[in-house]
Amino acid sequence: MKNLAYTFSYLIGALLIFSCETKIDPSLEKVDPVLVVDAWLTNKLGNQTIVLSQTQPYFDATTPPPVTGAVVTVTDNSNKVFSFNEDAAKPGYYVWKPVGNELIGVVGNSYKLNIQTSGENYSASSRMGAVPPVDSITFKKNEPTEQNPDFYRGQFFAKDIVGKGDTYWIRTYKNGVLLNKPSEINVAYDAGFDAGGSFFSRIGKKKNGQDSLILVDFIPPIRTRINPNDTDANDNALSPYIPGDSAYVEIHSITVPAFNYLQEVSIQTNRPGGFSELFARPINNVSTNIANVNPNGKKAIGFFNVAAVSGKGQKFKKN
Amino acid sequence: MKFILPVFLFLAFNLSAQTPNKFTISGYIKDASNGEALIGVSVFVTETKGGGVTNEYGFYSITLPPANYTLHYSYVGYSTITKTIALDKNVRTDIELSGEAEQLQEIVVQAEIEQANVQNLEMSTNKLDIKTIQKIPSFLGEADVIKSLQLLPGVSTVGEGASGFNVRGGSVGQNLILLDEAPVYNSSHLLGFFSVFNPDAVKDVKLYKGGIPARYGGRLSSLLDVRMKEGNSKKLEVTGGIGTIFSRLAIEAPIIKDKASFIIAVRRSYIDVLARPFVKLLQDGGALNFYDITLKTNYNINPKNRVYLSGYFGRDNFKFDKNQGFSWGNATATLRWNHIFNDRLFSNFTAVYSNYDYSLQFGRDEKDSFKWNSLISNYILKPQFTYFINANNELNFGAEAIYYNFEPANAVGVSNGVPTDVSIPKKYNLETSLYLSNSQKITSAFSIDYGLRYSLFNSYGPDSTYTYSNEVPGTRRLPIASQYHKSGDVIATYGNFEPRLSFKVQATPTSSIKGSYNRMVQYLHLISNTTASNPLDVWNPSSKNIKPQVGDQYTLGWFKDVGKDRQYELSIEGYVKYNQNQVDYINGADLLINRYLEGDLLTGQGRAYGLETYFQKKTGRLTGWVSYTLGRSELKIDGINKNSWFPTRFNQTHNLKIAAFYEINKRWSFSADFIYTSGTPATFPTSRAVVQGIVVPYNANESRGNVTLPDYHRLDIAFRLEGKKEKRGKTRKNSDYWVFGVYNVYARQNPFSIYFSQNDKRVPQGQPISSQATQLAIIGTLVPSISYNFKF
Repeated sequence: MKNLAYTFSYLIGALLIFSCETKIDPSLEKVDPVLVVDAWLTNKLGNQTIVLSQTQPYFDATTPPPVTGAVVTVTDNSNKVFSFNEDAAKPGYYVWKPVGNELIGVVGNSYKLNIQTSGENYSASSRMGAVPPVDSITFKKNEPTEQNPDFYRGQFFAKDIVGKGDTYWIRTYKNGVLLNKPSEINVAYDAGFDAGGSFFSRIGKKKNGQDSLILVDFIPPIRTRINPNDTDANDNALSPYIPGDSAYVEIHSITVPAFNYLQEVSIQTNRPGGFSELFARPINNVSTNIANVNPNGKKAIGFFNVAAVSGKGQKFKKN
Repeated sequence: MKFILPVFLFLAFNLSAQTPNKFTISGYIKDASNGEALIGVSVFVTETKGGGVTNEYGFYSITLPPANYTLHYSYVGYSTITKTIALDKNVRTDIELSGEAEQLQEIVVQAEIEQANVQNLEMSTNKLDIKTIQKIPSFLGEADVIKSLQLLPGVSTVGEGASGFNVRGGSVGQNLILLDEAPVYNSSHLLGFFSVFNPDAVKDVKLYKGGIPARYGGRLSSLLDVRMKEGNSKKLEVTGGIGTIFSRLAIEAPIIKDKASFIIAVRRSYIDVLARPFVKLLQDGGALNFYDITLKTNYNINPKNRVYLSGYFGRDNFKFDKNQGFSWGNATATLRWNHIFNDRLFSNFTAVYSNYDYSLQFGRDEKDSFKWNSLISNYILKPQFTYFINANNELNFGAEAIYYNFEPANAVGVSNGVPTDVSIPKKYNLETSLYLSNSQKITSAFSIDYGLRYSLFNSYGPDSTYTYSNEVPGTRRLPIASQYHKSGDVIATYGNFEPRLSFKVQATPTSSIKGSYNRMVQYLHLISNTTASNPLDVWNPSSKNIKPQVGDQYTLGWFKDVGKDRQYELSIEGYVKYNQNQVDYINGADLLINRYLEGDLLTGQGRAYGLETYFQKKTGRLTGWVSYTLGRSELKIDGINKNSWFPTRFNQTHNLKIAAFYEINKRWSFSADFIYTSGTPATFPTSRAVVQGIVVPYNANESRGNVTLPDYHRLDIAFRLEGKKEKRGKTRKNSDYWVFGVYNVYARQNPFSIYFSQNDKRVPQGQPISSQATQLAIIGTLVPSISYNFKF
């Protein structure tokens, strides 16, 4: 429902002529850096990577300082240990290399991350949930507008898994490039936005009293959030897709805490400005599931999740 | 607390028993030109140096021993009437006051009379009559009740475009806004740019910030009492105007001269009408408009009985096409019956219906659509009595019952042909209260008003309640058990005593010291975690898991009249407030269509304190006021700001307002207002973390409100040109005027917020990403306006 704020801003767009935005350079409080754990593992074939870095001053535009020399392991519930070794060429990147067709994750298993660095010991846990297949991806011409006579948008279809509390992260690649702007974060709680809603696949009753399976597709705002938000040099919106483009949509099963984390990241980072600021929420630190084994030790932030992944690609061919 | 009630009854009985051999002068006071009842007219008795004030219906009653008395009836802007009465029986004296004939004429008033603020027991209240509101320069030239309040001491806002107002550090949802006694749940059109009250239909606006009388309850911070005009009972009157946003028309006329009259006032935004030929969206079923209709009629059955019926209907419509869009609005209806039992016992019975609803609709076809509506409606019954016991005691007592019906979400979504009902169960609540208060003059210098209100809140089934897990404060609590309650079952009950006390010490004839204490209880909570509240914000009743808000306020003030003719008024008031059970939200809280909403709420304490100074010049060619407030408003919520006190989003240390009105000559007048306030708090990150290619702001100190936005200041001006009074030597029957205004004269870019974001360009993973801070001014330019207004 957070999209409503943007809708409002369109509505009163006429008043935008009075508003104005200025880039500023405020001074910020100086603080000590904190360990940042970026550990989103999947059951996809190939290497798995965990990135350890440090926080940096907000206006520091360089790549974050890496944390080197850490010992990083992931252990599953049958005590199988996966070792992540630092990549000599990329400081702060810790990589697990499979042997043959070995995969890191199995649906239903739980995993524990352990990181030892600078005398501190951090841990986090995750459980790999099930993931539904991507059924289809379609492209459709928008209602033509004066600025964009050919404006094509994509949509994907997939059905929520039966039962309540399945959470997903939808990641889209356009022509092989991951869409990872804050405005492109796409998460689903069952087939809808949140736990309090009731969009989920369920067992209903037929008129004759027999059970019937009601499978619910992701609701339209989730289905259509596979469109890149790109602009040209003059800041005009570009058609998200044009004939010849391809879209590859992945669904990652994530834990409920990981869903909450990504939703909070979206609230905190997707700031289009303008009148949507009327409905902005206060800046808050997003949650983390990385805990120092010693409660009095140094804090860490970031997230650890092990996801099962399904995916489908589609090339946009104009009929 | 419980011992107070018997004491009251004893006092009341005792006092009423003491008054044989006394007689009463009573009656209604009206405006001679249109028959409107005048509220707050002072009635001064020379011989006793005491008197009374007319109530909300223009009624007064004074009881005195038999003798000859001289009574002065006076009201700002009206000629004083003096009457000599030989009091040997109960006398009914209805008075009609005439407005000052010539505005430029120096007003000569009797010194003892024109000092209501010093003599009144009331404190922490501000009254704005509609003539003043119409003179204040306004955004796009639309006279606005709510925006005008923001020039008063102790009132602030989070910025332009934000709806509602903040009183003495309270939140927007802690104000009770009454339109002819009907609660208005959303006071804004077009988000917060305009308010829902049509100035053509409003008579009088009074804001209670403290020392709130026992007859009012239900919100912690303030009570805004908006009274509608009754309609001209003397002759047909048509007023109207064309502004930048609205075109307006109001018709008022007698139905039976001096006995019954009505007013109907209509306002509509008209930009869509003008834009229609050029905008395809509007031709294809799209819409962008807002309007309101205000109606009132009254009937003077006989000298002892009068009935009023008033109603309001307003709507904002925004539609992208035939099937998509949203709308919201208030509807209210009030039926009132004034009955005078005898010269000293005045009563009013009120029945109210009030409704606020919004609806949204998305989806171009039936296969994928979303329809949602939400409403809060209530039915109110309110008998109220005023017993004018004698010259020294005025007893107020009565009761109130409010039945609430909440429909948080009736919603059906269809996803790829499969419909899902995501509605949230309705909630049913009853709030009942009883009150009793006495305003007593103990000596000529010392008066006291003591009262008690008892309120009882029940929530009823059918509904499900949930028990939530205990998580680390600040994170989402999950439902771990649920319980279903049948229809009619009482789910939760809260009862509260609300003592009210105020006193006045008349230090000298021109100065007084006043103090007050009041406890307020609020059973409804406005659920909103955005900077400005918006039309989709949900009101949530107290429940098994959400306790009512309780607030205590202490005030102390000094009031002084200055000048030869006492044309200046000065006041200094301090206040301290302690609030319990204040609602806040976890990070990432989901407030809409969430049946587990309570798991996303946090509660804690609030406190606010401040000093308000106010200086007003009431008469002459130059009138106006200067108001300065020094204040602080804070919250302490487990799970936010490391569980320690933090400033609220609307905290303002300094708040200076100047309003000035100057009559240049008979046709031209000039008005200006200037506002200077400290910046409101904002939260800045200290650092950033990069996770999955996204720059996430991080505040290593976990603080809230760790910086202050730059100061806000703004100057607005307006010139008013009265139409010619004469045409070819004859006096014109109709009158008109133009208003030329400039809002934000020196084009100050006042920051509404500063937000942090990463560069919007697409950056390959692993490459450096820059991040920036942006300052937003909602109104960053000067805004000129012009409007034309007429009356005949």
